[in-house]
Amino acid sequence: MQVNEDLVKQITNAVLTEMKHRKDTNPAPVTSGSPAASTAVTQSLAGRDRINPVKTSYASYPRAKKGTDPKEVVIGVGAAFQKEIQKTICGIPLDDVLKNVKAGIEEEGMVPRVVKILDTSDVCFMALEAAKTSGSGIGIGIQSKGTTVIHQKDLYPLSNLELFPQAPLMDLETYRKIGKNAAKYVKGEQVVPIPCTNDPMSRPKYQVKAALMHIAETEQLDPEVGIIEWEEK
Amino acid sequence: MSLIAGVDIGNSTTEVCVGEAAADGTIHFLTSASRPTTGTKGTVANTHAIKAALNRAMSSIGRTISDISLIRLNEAAPVIGDTAMETLTETIITDSSMIGHNPSTPAGAGQAVGEILLIDNLSRGIPGTPYIVAADDSYSYEEVAAILNQSADTLDIAGVILKADEAVLVENRLRKKIPIIDEVARIDKLPDGVLAAIEVALPGQTVRMLSNPYGIATLLHLNAEETRTVTPIAKSLIGKRSAVVLKTPGGNVRENVLPAGEIYLNAENSASINLDEGAAEIMKAVADAGKIHDISGQPDTNVGNMLTRIKRGMGELDHTPDADIRITDILAVDTLAPVLISGALAGETCLEKAVGIAAMVKTQHLPMREIADKLKMELGTDVRIAGVEAVMASLGALTTPGTKLPLAILDMGGGSTDAAVISEDGRVTMTHQAGAGELVSMLIETELGLGDRHIAEQIKKYPLAKVESLFHMRMENGQMTFVDESIDPRFYGRVILLAEDGYIRIEKELPMEKIVQVRRDAKRKVFVTNAFRALKSVAPGQDLKNISNVVLVGGSAEDFEIPEMLMEEFADYRIVCGRGNIRGTEGPRNAVATGLVLSYAGERQ
Repeated sequence: MQVNEDLVKQITNAVLTEMKHRKDTNPAPVTSGSPAASTAVTQSLAGRDRINPVKTSYASYPRAKKGTDPKEVVIGVGAAFQKEIQKTICGIPLDDVLKNVKAGIEEEGMVPRVVKILDTSDVCFMALEAAKTSGSGIGIGIQSKGTTVIHQKDLYPLSNLELFPQAPLMDLETYRKIGKNAAKYVKGEQVVPIPCTNDPMSRPKYQVKAALMHIAETEQLDPEVGIIEWEEK
Repeated sequence: MSLIAGVDIGNSTTEVCVGEAAADGTIHFLTSASRPTTGTKGTVANTHAIKAALNRAMSSIGRTISDISLIRLNEAAPVIGDTAMETLTETIITDSSMIGHNPSTPAGAGQAVGEILLIDNLSRGIPGTPYIVAADDSYSYEEVAAILNQSADTLDIAGVILKADEAVLVENRLRKKIPIIDEVARIDKLPDGVLAAIEVALPGQTVRMLSNPYGIATLLHLNAEETRTVTPIAKSLIGKRSAVVLKTPGGNVRENVLPAGEIYLNAENSASINLDEGAAEIMKAVADAGKIHDISGQPDTNVGNMLTRIKRGMGELDHTPDADIRITDILAVDTLAPVLISGALAGETCLEKAVGIAAMVKTQHLPMREIADKLKMELGTDVRIAGVEAVMASLGALTTPGTKLPLAILDMGGGSTDAAVISEDGRVTMTHQAGAGELVSMLIETELGLGDRHIAEQIKKYPLAKVESLFHMRMENGQMTFVDESIDPRFYGRVILLAEDGYIRIEKELPMEKIVQVRRDAKRKVFVTNAFRALKSVAPGQDLKNISNVVLVGGSAEDFEIPEMLMEEFADYRIVCGRGNIRGTEGPRNAVATGLVLSYAGERQ
């Protein structure tokens, strides 16, 4: 399907053209002209109201059941995970992300299970649903852009165990450690703080891309189906 | 009607008590407060804490400091305490002869012997020779497992050493199960082709073969002479969950005894003793020396420097030219400090022997006059220095319901443990001993390897619990406690301290049982030892049997377990011993301040 870099370029170009056009004809300040600008953006992408024209149907997939194994850690991935989106926001292949989180869980002696969450694309709610599906009550939510949360079934959605909000700065080592920590929560062991980098510029730098990836994920939601077992690849 | 304030400046806290003196000489107590002491006890810097404490006390009854008509300062005992730690041994590994560590997740179980073979050189392996394969972290667990599975038919692979934390991952993918040790950071230091033995213990157990010299001899085919040289290796592997021992010709584990310095006792029976001999010998020498005039240490050793530093600190307090500053008591306590072994390949630590020392320095008098003058100037209130600390403390202690003369008090503070006995006719015998709460904090800090005195203080003060789920935790006494509101996820799976105003998380990964044991041992080593020492020296005829009542006062008497420990110990001597309850309301604190206010009534009569 559509690679996101192309889309970013498309939109950036559309905005630049529009700004240039407006400068030539009407030197009014940007604030007053903003509604016009936004319509212009939609116009330049005329004929498209979705990022991916086709919606994948998951109706035939097996629905995820609540696990009974107390050693289980459920990884809940986003709707577009390994389908419409293949890489995180910073270009790490999602196959590798999943493999490392699973390896981290396995190294600590626990059992990983992967489900795809089609109810919501909010990472906290995804993680909470994963936790509620998990036999141990511990779950991990991973959005297709790479944002990750470790959750526990008894907590409020927004009060999680651990949140890794800056997806552009994550690497595979971090994902491995996330898997390990989730497994340590299951065992009731003391978790090791995961070192994370923080870059205040990552937000402006990645905002457009993050929004597009989130839309691409959200438009694949299918609440009718809910949660499915996800063992693809 | 006038308001009288008693002020007690201690090594760590300043306590005040305010009472109303009626015209008929009776005293009616109104309020009390305490603040941490500012500056060294007995210096003008103390006035800040005094004012803060008075402010707090007065505001709690809705009045101001200016309402006080007289402030009575205690003639603080001219003693200050200090502590120091001296490591006595160090362990060195030469020629990378062993790796013993506790990776959280080794895999497989049992022992294996073979030649070290790096995974790069696997093609050079000869069929029939047992090998222990060492793999760097440039190989992923899938690659390692694939390579090992491939060569399993041709080569005899007995065990694996990994750099990355992937032992379970590799083991899950192996067809033939073998012991695997991971997280060996300096795997590049492993010599190729050397005979090695590895062992992974069963869950819940520790290594058995490699912590036994004869076990190592069996695995590596050593003769009697060689077996003798591996004894330190076996000893240092006791308690580990996994271990590697290499047979290298020059390889050894050495325990060096560090030069720790001597202590010179200038006493009735002068003596000198080396710190290496341990706490028991030092304390015996101190006890045998009789009345001690002064203690000094060998110059340019840690103990020498510490003793000089304490004396210099006291010298700054007493400016009188002929100041007579002497160290009159020390308390030595054996302890163990976890220290990183030099030459280790996997960041192993070893518990090294150490001695913790508390010293007590004495001068003729503290410059209390200066404090009194400064207070008087700042507050415009009459300030008087009254009474000796121990007498005031006894007077305050007598307000505990159920006490009578003759009475012994044990004042356990932060810097010193003081004891006093008042006979029925009012004669007071007293003593000051080195070592109290601060020494306990230092022992906890060292033995747990915390590197942070503040958290050690808190471990000393509060009981522990382990948060097992978001709704329940297990207390250190085994009791389960359930909570209505879910516990903050930051505490999930953690060992926490139950402080008055919430929980405190212990960052270092330590089992709760270990912390409890270290904390109790530290308290017992310091307070039980000192209580006996102190009471013996003030008891009539130096016999504990001549004391019938002991009231525990001071900050450390507030502790949740020290009074019980002492009660158990004193029960054997038929001594009634318990935590004081000053004025029936204050608990063990505020004895001296209360005594100061009471003595005002006595003086007027």
